[in-house]
Amino acid sequence: MSTEDYKQVILDHATNSKKTKLYFSDLKKAVQKQYPDAKTRMVKQAATELINDGTMIYYSTGSTTMYGLKGRGITEDQ
Amino acid sequence: MAFEPKEEQKTINYEEARIYSQEELSNYTEEELKNYKIKHDVPDLDDLEKGPWPSFVTDAKREDLHRKKLNDERLLISKNCVEDLLGQLQLSFDHGETHWKHGGIVGVFGYGGGVIGRYSDVQEDFPGVASFHTLRVNQAASKFYDTNYLRTLCDMWEYRGSGLLNMHGSTGDIILLGTTTEQLEPVFHEMTHELQQDLGGSGSNLRTPSCCIGKARCEWSCIDTQDMCYELTQFYQDELHRPMFPYKFKFKFDGCPNGCVASIARSDMSFIGTWKDNIKIDQDKVKAYINGEAQPNAGSHNGRDWGKFDIQKEVIDRCPTGCMSLENGELKIDNENCNRCMHCINVMPQALRPGDDKGVTILFGAKAPILEGAQMSVMTIPFMKAEPPYDNIKDVIENVWDWWMEEGKNRERLGELIQRKTLQEFLKVVGVPAAPQMVTAPRANPYIFWKEEDVPGGFERDVEDYRSRHKR
Repeated sequence: MSTEDYKQVILDHATNSKKTKLYFSDLKKAVQKQYPDAKTRMVKQAATELINDGTMIYYSTGSTTMYGLKGRGITEDQ
Repeated sequence: MAFEPKEEQKTINYEEARIYSQEELSNYTEEELKNYKIKHDVPDLDDLEKGPWPSFVTDAKREDLHRKKLNDERLLISKNCVEDLLGQLQLSFDHGETHWKHGGIVGVFGYGGGVIGRYSDVQEDFPGVASFHTLRVNQAASKFYDTNYLRTLCDMWEYRGSGLLNMHGSTGDIILLGTTTEQLEPVFHEMTHELQQDLGGSGSNLRTPSCCIGKARCEWSCIDTQDMCYELTQFYQDELHRPMFPYKFKFKFDGCPNGCVASIARSDMSFIGTWKDNIKIDQDKVKAYINGEAQPNAGSHNGRDWGKFDIQKEVIDRCPTGCMSLENGELKIDNENCNRCMHCINVMPQALRPGDDKGVTILFGAKAPILEGAQMSVMTIPFMKAEPPYDNIKDVIENVWDWWMEEGKNRERLGELIQRKTLQEFLKVVGVPAAPQMVTAPRANPYIFWKEEDVPGGFERDVEDYRSRHKR
């Protein structure tokens, strides 16, 4: 499985999930549901690429960091 | 060992990098400060200034006066931010609750930490602090700075931020207190490009590693804490800036069991320098202490007359394991029973020294309250060599992280996971046998949960064989 496949699962999950902000472990679970052999570090790499190309954003609850789709729910500066 | 930076180090010259002139920096007199009143009425804060210690309120008022006297174009965020900060704090005292909203913004582009978003929920009354974000700046190992660096940093922060900072926050970082969203990227750019300075960790990241003064100034340091701190900070950059953990994770490095950065209480993974062989004794120097020729504790208690030094009362009787004795004027130590409390070495530094076979003890799981209350780290790996490039230590770290990321719930610290899954489970992950020193209390559960490999024949049994001996 390539990073691109993982990125697609993460994007689908972030788009369709009821919650707009997700823990990294939520992303990992979503990927592992489809690709049970997915390694944590590979999922992280895919998530980081999505952050770096601006598709996703980090979001802070104040103490924990979450991931969200840019433009969905609260944005990074509200 | 000489410092070998991973990238070429710039020389910072304050005279070239400075933003403010000397006149601008000292633009008020102490007399003016004494009579200075901010526009908000802050009786509780005024009260804080009356105590015996220097007060942050006085510092903040000083900064406010200084900003007020600068020309408008010399500041990029509100001139009134410090005054409004104090006003909002007074309001919080009045209401007994905070008026900060936090969350949202987390970092500069590509970083999942380093910035802690702060927004006022009473912006109409205190517009100067409508958005007032905190930045964590990764401090130098052991907090050694050059004044050129500090002055340049302070000038930059005066210009682009509130001018207020903490030296240092609990994690160890320099904390830059308060700037607007627009200034975050420029501040980051100036720090990385002008000051060669990175942000620290926040959120679900590896937090900024921190170490004691180490071999730079301390003869007891059993490990090169600065080198370890620098190496692991550089090696785990991805974990520091891009979150993947269930929650925060902290490393701290103490050079010896005196624990000057209190790693045992403040980090999920505490590294404490130790030695495996015997404490080195110079018997002539022991005699010098007994005879009063050498000063106990290197003279640090000389302020009062405590009477003649009594080695029996002050050292031998105070050994927590009772492993010391004085025989015919010779100090004896039963090293196998020494628990590295450091008391005797602290009292008689000229006579006693840590042994030569040095390394680290690694402890896991300290945390401050939230679930189950605060707890100290548990000693897990009694001794490990700690030499560059620290591959043995990196293996342990990554094993533990993999387990925590696999098993940890969201917002669950390593210490809480160890409590939930038991120390036995954790020891399997680290690959260390249980030791009596790890037991904090007698067990309360009378059942013994055997592992299959410890039971002769395993858990499978042949029912036919059983029935041949036991009638139904």
